Amino acid sequence: MRSPLKIAVLSFAHPHALSYVRALNGRRDIELVAADPDHGERPVGESGGTVLAAQLGVRYLETYEAVWEWGPDAVVICAENVRHLPLVEQAAAQGAHVLCEKPLATSVPDAEAMVSACESAGVNLMVAHPVRFSTAFKALKRAYDAGAVGEVRAVVGANNGKLPKGDRSWFVDPELAGGGSITDHTVHVADLLDSLFDGVAARSVYALSNTVLHGEVGVETGGLISIELDGGVVVTIDCSWSRPDSYPTWGGLTLQLTGDRGIADMDAFNTRVDGHSQTRGNGLWLSYGTDPDTAMIAEFLASIAAGRAPQPDGRSGLRTVRIVQAAYDSVRTGATVLL
Amino acid sequence: MTVQVTPAPPPLRVGMIGAGGIAGAHLSAWLSIGAEISHFSTAGAQALAASHGGVAVDSFAELLDLVDVVDIVTPTPSHLGYVQAGAAAGKHVFCEKPLARTSTDARLAIEACRAAGVQLYPGHVVRYFSEYESMHREVAAGTIGTVAVQRFTRTGSRPDMDWFHDEEASGGVILDQMIHDLDFACWNAGPVGTVFARQAGTGTGKDGVVSAHVILQHHSGAITHAAGTWARPGTAFRTTFEIAGTGGILRHDSAEHKPLVIDGGAGHDGRAGTGLLPEVSGVGPFELELSEIARAFMGGDPPRVSAEDGLAAILVAEAAVTSLQIGQPVAVAPIGNVEVAA
Repeated sequence: MRSPLKIAVLSFAHPHALSYVRALNGRRDIELVAADPDHGERPVGESGGTVLAAQLGVRYLETYEAVWEWGPDAVVICAENVRHLPLVEQAAAQGAHVLCEKPLATSVPDAEAMVSACESAGVNLMVAHPVRFSTAFKALKRAYDAGAVGEVRAVVGANNGKLPKGDRSWFVDPELAGGGSITDHTVHVADLLDSLFDGVAARSVYALSNTVLHGEVGVETGGLISIELDGGVVVTIDCSWSRPDSYPTWGGLTLQLTGDRGIADMDAFNTRVDGHSQTRGNGLWLSYGTDPDTAMIAEFLASIAAGRAPQPDGRSGLRTVRIVQAAYDSVRTGATVLL
Repeated sequence: MTVQVTPAPPPLRVGMIGAGGIAGAHLSAWLSIGAEISHFSTAGAQALAASHGGVAVDSFAELLDLVDVVDIVTPTPSHLGYVQAGAAAGKHVFCEKPLARTSTDARLAIEACRAAGVQLYPGHVVRYFSEYESMHREVAAGTIGTVAVQRFTRTGSRPDMDWFHDEEASGGVILDQMIHDLDFACWNAGPVGTVFARQAGTGTGKDGVVSAHVILQHHSGAITHAAGTWARPGTAFRTTFEIAGTGGILRHDSAEHKPLVIDGGAGHDGRAGTGLLPEVSGVGPFELELSEIARAFMGGDPPRVSAEDGLAAILVAEAAVTSLQIGQPVAVAPIGNVEVAA
């Protein structure tokens, strides 16, 4: 029997680290450690470090150096967006496979450097786009591949959420996040398009953003991104942080495909029990169904075991980063950006 | 014993011009609010009279002799001529949207009615649909704070009549169909500065599927996305909106909020499309629209939509069509020397 795969979670900065640790802890074929050396930089009250590791029941290492000495086979990077690049490069240099939280990077050169580092080192680079693994999207992709809606010509996608500030304030700090809602939410929908249309690239991007919602933060909170893909498919993505603070859930993601044989509507988080609570004074929104994070991590581990590229891979992540950066270029110039 | 009886006002005498898809909806609504209807059309007037009522007449001149107001439900390119003729005859004018084929025509229509001293209103009936009306009332009341991001979608079967498929005649899906949502976006969030549009389709003519996506930058700071689709025959009519503001969100999906759903089991063809007109779940929008406009024609308050609103929507749609052609955002032309209603 082969020895268990050694996996390290690098940083608890992104709250998804918590669900990844839970998903990984549920597997018997791996050995897990976590390091969160930058937790001291977080504002008072934001969890991290040994305390959070203890709560999650995961072995904790104080520094990334200690992680490299431990010798991981693979890492899961959940640092702030702008800190992905150095960690990916270190992991690649150590020969460790990488699952990197989305967005892969906050600039195209950073994303290209990550792809290049991992390809040179011969390690897998996967981007954490879990919606691709949801029951809803898998059903949509199956239906689309079977021709249920024919040739798709137009797509409307919406990934809306609350201001993601509750747990982690860096989400609204452009120095650490790289931007606001355009950075945070465009890539989820862009990744689904990348999967549906086999990695077709964007040809042109136009975007509008605003700061009407939560004007107190220093980044854009509203955004509409218009994309034309190679081949002429027209896409609009609403990436706004437009759910009120008191909304009964974090947000959601919907995708509508209009084809010459029909129209498909997907709601990635529609499997839920609805209700209303007098004691909470709010709607109840109880999600159920399979956990896409678990399926995503299973794909990462399976790709390592099989010695094949994972999906979505670094090049897919790079394509989504290109769209985001083109959207910012468009907002800055007020013009359509050709890629 | 004597009873004081207030004499009923004489019924409004309405002359409808055109007998196409929307004419039946208008005619039924006019009759339900007690109007007296004559109609004229180059084709189909007798059939319309037989199916819906009213009296078909043989000529436009004869129609003008019989009525106080005209309701123009002809194909878009002929709107201006009938507006001018109606105004010249001293009739108030209600005109199906778009008010005219071009903003130039719309300005001429407004000027003709102003010169003749008659009223002119465009048929932006979505402002009278219960779900949209309820949403707008709350937006205007500040229930969801300042509007930040709006999304509208409108999907239905591709229209049957040939002239819709001639973009030169109809203006395409943006001017003919999406204009409802462009008008509504402005009603909620105010005038538009720049417009960006894309359009994609497949097939041609009645079998063609076309989707247009338009993004608006409002002067208020709000941003809007509108998607309009003419889908394959048999597609159910469906509209959605979501309005997000600093204090909450409002949304509706006509596919989800149905007062009645019947499942006929195997063999029941539940996929019958509803073509150009949506199912109506609230107060009849055409009745509400026409009764409000009839009151204005009879000296009451002006309705919620003005001719200038009709022109403003056309200016946004024209900027969208220009954007399609050049692939860049387009500034909306100023409404200019047409006096905006107070």
